[in-house]
Amino acid sequence: MAVCVASRTDLSPTCFHLTLATPEPVVAEPGQFGMVSCGEGLDPLLRRAFSLAGVVAKGSGSEVELLVKEVGKGTALLRRAVPGTELRLLAPLGRGFTLEGGAPAALVAGGIGLPPVLFAAEAMAALGVRFDLFLGATTAAELLEVERCARACEAAGGTLVVTTDDGTRGERGLVVAALERRLAAGHRYARVLACGPTPMLAALTLLARERGVPTEVSLEEPMACGVGVCLGCVVELGDGRFVSACREGPVFPVERLAARWWA
Amino acid sequence: MSVRLDSAVGGLALANPVMAASGTYGYGLDLLEFCPPERLGAMVSKGLSPRPRRGNRTPRIVETAAGMINAIGLQNIGVDAFCREALPELRARGAVVVVNVFGERMEEYLEVIARCEREEGVAAYELNVSCPNVTAGGMEFGHDPVQLERLTGMCRAATPRPLWVKLSPNAPDLVGTARAAVAGGADALTLINTLRAMAIDPVARRPAIANTFGGLSGPAIKPIALRMVYEVHRALPGVPLVGIGGIETGRDAVEFLLAGASAVQVGTAIFRDPGAPLRILAELEGFCEEHGVAAVRELVGGLTCR
Repeated sequence: MAVCVASRTDLSPTCFHLTLATPEPVVAEPGQFGMVSCGEGLDPLLRRAFSLAGVVAKGSGSEVELLVKEVGKGTALLRRAVPGTELRLLAPLGRGFTLEGGAPAALVAGGIGLPPVLFAAEAMAALGVRFDLFLGATTAAELLEVERCARACEAAGGTLVVTTDDGTRGERGLVVAALERRLAAGHRYARVLACGPTPMLAALTLLARERGVPTEVSLEEPMACGVGVCLGCVVELGDGRFVSACREGPVFPVERLAARWWA
Repeated sequence: MSVRLDSAVGGLALANPVMAASGTYGYGLDLLEFCPPERLGAMVSKGLSPRPRRGNRTPRIVETAAGMINAIGLQNIGVDAFCREALPELRARGAVVVVNVFGERMEEYLEVIARCEREEGVAAYELNVSCPNVTAGGMEFGHDPVQLERLTGMCRAATPRPLWVKLSPNAPDLVGTARAAVAGGADALTLINTLRAMAIDPVARRPAIANTFGGLSGPAIKPIALRMVYEVHRALPGVPLVGIGGIETGRDAVEFLLAGASAVQVGTAIFRDPGAPLRILAELEGFCEEHGVAAVRELVGGLTCR
């Protein structure tokens, strides 16, 4: 559908917040994603996949929130989009996180992996599901939406744990190490929901398996179509099959994934 | 003025000349909400092998300027699953189904065709000859006119249904392979498949896709595809052609028809917009209305060259 840029705000030196106004209501679950066109021409050719950071009803349609990191041609064009710019959006797509279930949960976000985790945090807070949120970034300036994360944690009766690789804010070091320290100190989590860079998710998966904590991760794979026909975004499962992240994911329980993925 | 959209590829009548290309439309039931198969002139299945295939490691795709490179590795559910799981509904919907066939040995092509011969509702076969022939040292069937004629002849003997051969643009002698396919008994030729290409990640100093080489598709290849359609049409004017390569708009489709194609396939455009084939069809109709073309068939081979 044709959508309109409603707002665009810088969040960090590399990341920005984008709100898209849709003419029809979008009903999405945290962890689902959308495919967004970045411009009118043939280059960039393909839409870009973004996990949704939130969706709110607005008039007869919705406002879809994205958090975007500028990494190439398409995201650079989006960064320059002004309110009123028309884009095309295909959403919601894929399968999201399991929100209800055992509590407390640990929500873990690394860098630009925050959007689906933020969406899940706000939805779980509204559902009254308890969680702690672990929010990591390379440096203080790259921490995104800290205030919103803090509000969601407060509403859920949980704690926000902030980490930066360089120690410029919160605990120094990797976000998975912060979770590991909590577990070693006796904190117990019924499950983990996470999104972030692949090395972070691999480390988290290893930790979760050692501790026997059920974990769902949102994976990022290059996608051409987002609707299951290009077979570009496949993920290898434990039984050796390749399945499309856009259809069977992007959120997967780690038990389904091939050992190669975290080992 | 209402435009007559019907066309035909050889003996196969089509309600309109726009098809969904192999490998971009799944098994025909994946994009129902955007582009139902019964509204297309025809749909071409993902390439089917006798048994399921996992395909290549990732990354499998990378975007390039006005195009993309893929090396999916022919991942597919296998012909039997297609016949059991997709074909009954495609038949019930009245879709015109073209089965794209491939194998690593000639016998595998015949296995796929034999399985489909037991089913109603397969309108034609399209041979993917860009697959390496493992019994002939890994050279693609489509690169060697002798092998291609033999393969086409064996498939010809295996079915009375229309048989199309999808030509590789990477063959050293395009017209020679076109002649070979026709000599082997092909009813029509689809051209072109993707162009062998690569992309490099300069930071990682590695190929951008795991397979190193892949097939380039999208608008970047359209001028090459047009030239190849025209070249084969000129050399073999009586042979029906299906044009494919970077078609994004109705005007693009008109260009392929003028170059000599009787119908077109839309591929990579579906990745950009899953409703692309129907949009392109509507634009084609609009072009005809605007330019006083009463029937799409009038456009076929209608190029004027001085």
